[in-house]
Amino acid sequence: MLRLLKAKHGFSIIASIAASLLILFLFIPLVALFALANIGVLSEAWISDPVLAREAWLALIRTIQASLLSSFILLLVGIPTAYLFARKSFSLKTLIESIVNVPLMIPHAVAGIMVLVAYSRRGLLGFLTSGLGLAVDDSFWGIVAAMMFVSAPIAIDTIRVAIESIDPVLEMVARSLGASQFRVFMTITLPLSLRGIATGFILSWARSISEVGAILIVAYYPKTINVLVMEWFNTYGLSYAVALSIPLVLMSIALFIAVRLVLRK
Amino acid sequence: MIVIEDLMVKLGSFTLQVDYLEVRDKEYFVVMGPSGVGKTVFLRTLIGFIKPLKGKIIVNGRDITNEPPENRGFALVPQDYALWPHMTVYENIAYGLKARGLDSQVIREKVEWIAGILEITDILDRYPNQISGGQQQRVALARALVVEPQLVLLDEPLANLDPRLRFKARSFLRELHMKLGFTAIHVTHNIVEALYLGDRIAYMEEGVIKHISTPIEFIKSPWSKPYLDEIEPILGMLSDNR
Repeated sequence: MLRLLKAKHGFSIIASIAASLLILFLFIPLVALFALANIGVLSEAWISDPVLAREAWLALIRTIQASLLSSFILLLVGIPTAYLFARKSFSLKTLIESIVNVPLMIPHAVAGIMVLVAYSRRGLLGFLTSGLGLAVDDSFWGIVAAMMFVSAPIAIDTIRVAIESIDPVLEMVARSLGASQFRVFMTITLPLSLRGIATGFILSWARSISEVGAILIVAYYPKTINVLVMEWFNTYGLSYAVALSIPLVLMSIALFIAVRLVLRK
Repeated sequence: MIVIEDLMVKLGSFTLQVDYLEVRDKEYFVVMGPSGVGKTVFLRTLIGFIKPLKGKIIVNGRDITNEPPENRGFALVPQDYALWPHMTVYENIAYGLKARGLDSQVIREKVEWIAGILEITDILDRYPNQISGGQQQRVALARALVVEPQLVLLDEPLANLDPRLRFKARSFLRELHMKLGFTAIHVTHNIVEALYLGDRIAYMEEGVIKHISTPIEFIKSPWSKPYLDEIEPILGMLSDNR
């Protein structure tokens, strides 16, 4: 091994072997999923069986709607949050930043329980969410809330890194020339961090689409596609779960190709 | 006239202390000192990005110590010029005028006027990454001067240029000051730049201004001793200039 490392291109060869092993480990389940797909079941699940197809399409559309809504709301509130974290110093900043990252570290079922005890009808803020028609238990808003909770750290951290990468002197010059803080944010900070914001949006969207643990706890109904995959796996077996999973996998591949394209521009 | 009284800034273990400093109208005032003595901190305090612990900054009788940067009437030219890469040269120069809500026709006239003086009219539609370092410096100067600020703050504006260009840019900056007569505070660690450009020089060490004088008086002072090797070759040029 040591001799190989010292040889010409030795390190590249070892790195390539390691990368190949890892890529294969990730790639083989993907191939297996598609290999296992039964065209008949796939067609039944998505087209020919009216009951199954209706359930599948409704769940898929609901997942896309909720994940898009969650990501848009996160953009609206996440950009100012990321800006504050990137540019301002304030008391308890480290603690607040750590709390924002909590959803990254806890099991998603626990995340679901936290959302439930906070925002359900009988939760801590239940009087408020119920009053506004936004109670999370078994509702569309529950799906959105669960998705937002687990993907917020990804959106905020990605946008924050993008803002931090902008030289603050660019903003200082604009302020010195008479532009207000808001104007500087809109004309300098925002346009220069657009790529990072787009990446943050796509990553948080991808994270939302893939969420199941928290949604299972907060809002089993109305069903999202991920909940339905679990349900069909338990009720109809593996081939039906695979049939439901394939569009999800294709969608996630498309999303990550989009991220790469955004980053490459 | 800019008056700074009893200014104190604390950043960690570093302290900046300016007891009294007066910059006259249309004066080109240079703050000189080795790297890390607090020159940039001084500029950033003047422009409003660092809050002083105590003291006053008075511009033409108005206390602006607690004003936000956009209300001070200053303009910053940083070391790396900090041109906005997503805007053309024209948009960069017009930015401060737009922020002041001027009419687009007036903006165009002013941008063309300053671009003419700085000889950058032919690059107005280019982006910063499409122009040379010397041109970028002129654009940064144009962007600051077009708003006709009460004070231009230049933070090592020649440091990023190669030696040949730096010499040219120095002469250009001097001519520009003579032509437009703006008030400037220029910070630098380069003694030649300070002596050549400054009407007066303040020598700073460890956050304190140790000495203020004209360039000729500075050369005669003990503060110039560490720089004698650099000063000797330009002595003739200085006496020709003044």
